[in-house]
Amino acid sequence: MSNATLAPPARRRRRGIDQLVWRLLPLTPFALLLAAWVIYWAIARPNAATLPSVQDVVAAMWELAVKGELAQHVLASLWRLLLGVALGVVTGVIGGFIVGLNRTISTFLSPLIVFFNAISGIVWLPLVIGWLGIGTALAVFLIWNTVFFIVFQNTVLGVQLVPQVYEEGVQALGGGRWETIRTVILPGALPYILTGLRSGLGFGWRALIAAELVGATTGLGQMIFGATEYHRSDIIIGGCLLIGTIAIAMDRWLLLPIEKRTIERWGLVFDARKEE
Amino acid sequence: MSVQAQPRPLPARMRGIPRFLSAGPEVRKIGVGVLLILLVLFGQQFYGRVTAPGRLAPELRGAKGPSNVVVVLAFMPDRFHNERISEYGVFAGRDGALNRIRLRNVTPDSLWRLASVSWVARIEGMR
Amino acid sequence: MSATTAASARTGVPGQSMLAAAGRQLRGLKILLPFAALVALWWAIYASGDFSPQVLVSPLTVWQAFVHLVTYGVMAEYASTSLRMIGFAAMLSMVIGVPIGFAIGVNRYAAHALEGFLRFLQGISGIAWLPLAIIWFGFTHTTTLVIVIYTLIVPIIFNTMIGVRAIPESYMLALRSLGASRLRMVKDVYLPGALPSIVVGLRLGMGYGWRALIAAEMLVRKGGLGDLIFGARTFGQIDRIITGMIVIGCLYVIVDRLIVQPIENLTIARWGVLRK
Repeated sequence: MSNATLAPPARRRRRGIDQLVWRLLPLTPFALLLAAWVIYWAIARPNAATLPSVQDVVAAMWELAVKGELAQHVLASLWRLLLGVALGVVTGVIGGFIVGLNRTISTFLSPLIVFFNAISGIVWLPLVIGWLGIGTALAVFLIWNTVFFIVFQNTVLGVQLVPQVYEEGVQALGGGRWETIRTVILPGALPYILTGLRSGLGFGWRALIAAELVGATTGLGQMIFGATEYHRSDIIIGGCLLIGTIAIAMDRWLLLPIEKRTIERWGLVFDARKEE
Repeated sequence: MSVQAQPRPLPARMRGIPRFLSAGPEVRKIGVGVLLILLVLFGQQFYGRVTAPGRLAPELRGAKGPSNVVVVLAFMPDRFHNERISEYGVFAGRDGALNRIRLRNVTPDSLWRLASVSWVARIEGMR
Repeated sequence: MSATTAASARTGVPGQSMLAAAGRQLRGLKILLPFAALVALWWAIYASGDFSPQVLVSPLTVWQAFVHLVTYGVMAEYASTSLRMIGFAAMLSMVIGVPIGFAIGVNRYAAHALEGFLRFLQGISGIAWLPLAIIWFGFTHTTTLVIVIYTLIVPIIFNTMIGVRAIPESYMLALRSLGASRLRMVKDVYLPGALPSIVVGLRLGMGYGWRALIAAEMLVRKGGLGDLIFGARTFGQIDRIITGMIVIGCLYVIVDRLIVQPIENLTIARWGVLRK
């Protein structure tokens, strides 16, 4: 998803109250939705299975938290995500560099990568579930699969787009292959790698939840799917909101700072919309 | 072939079919893509419809009212095929082999539609 | 692959058109080469080990399964179900999402307010809402449709909004000062200006949506390719699973690279402000 920032209004407006309003504005849709939910519930009193009240959801989540189950599910999911993303990034970057530095290989492999990216993630579930069974291994494989191809593609792109001039510059100064890679290609490819990481994390989180819906005994996905059997909509809604919150938190507090620190440090500029 | 500059690509709907081939690589791709998708969506149906007359036994062509038929398949049917065939009439068991399915009360319209199914080998009258 | 197309665009030497045409023909076939190599590798792996049919099958078996599924009408029906679903969902999402995106994008306060909310919704991928949709709509096509539309519509709205926001103020002021009506503004400024971004949103949405569709079909089990491969798992028909996976990948590549991406390139070439 694009990182384009929407500029705040012109300078003459940027004072005190207006600035406060501007900062609080993003919360209004949530507040409105919450209000609508409460009002609808008060008026229509729908079936608890169809639409539980806000209190029901909060209570259900609290109950799970107190019992320790919530933490268990969240940790299980996050652990699988961490493993899968770490594996995916490491293999993706290394593979991307090896392939990206060699034009012939990258042109040859390109159609394969595009194809496998098209079936990355949940599509492998029926096949892999026979190999790895239900559980963490399955989820980690699916996440690795998703993240690897995205990071790989973006790394190759990044490596290949580093201007020849820089490479030649280092070599003219007597630097060897490894020097070139370390000082020029790596920083040059970094924006693309990070875009790939960001994209991969997003897709990976989705793949994880999907995988856990059918192929796990713990984890947030399993928590909400298991609740379907007992028509516990309160757990489902609470779980979904939690999933969304974690997704945003990861993007905001994990990736954005990484991007800012590395890209600002190396003074690199890139178009954030260049997502593959 | 004369030398031409790369023509400016315009959206496909603004060009006629004859000019399609010179309308630029992107438009050609869209054409091929749409064609492939249409093939997947309608290819088999079209083939089935075109070969429909060959499937009906002579005595069944021109049937005016409901008939009792035997649907013959060239393979052992999955549950999928049994389900689909049952939509055209009242399922009345097998006719000797698993790939010969009896159907009762097949209306002329259903008969024609059944004949248009590409994986049906032939339709015979029930004796 | 983009490197070679870029290079050939740069040369464009007249008189080489015949050679270029021949080269293009060969390039079409060259795409198949990596896949042939992969199949060869697959065969080698299969032949070298003693794999039970539950774990791995030979490429030949997969081909036979494919022929079986096609001639007996199964593949056409399942593939059509999936294609119709994504097509219908895409159309509905565009028809609903683009106007909403416009309405939001035109007003900078609305845009700022809803940006975070839309990201949040995107973080809760459509797949996470599946359990709730199942409770509300049961195991029906409606459930699948709702989930896929949700998954598609959020990127479309978001990118439409960004597209509208990215239109330089000067264009809008210029036309308004010349007395253009609202409708004229929409037709001549907003629509063309936002179109590249809208199509990027559509492409992104299709990526998410196709995966969500397969996942939903796996759970709802009412037809479609996800149902096909998941059902084949129940009977341990690895050959069918792999066939299904290949078809899923091919269909997505056809729709994405032969239809949506060219549309994206055309709109950018004609009206684009995005740098690619």
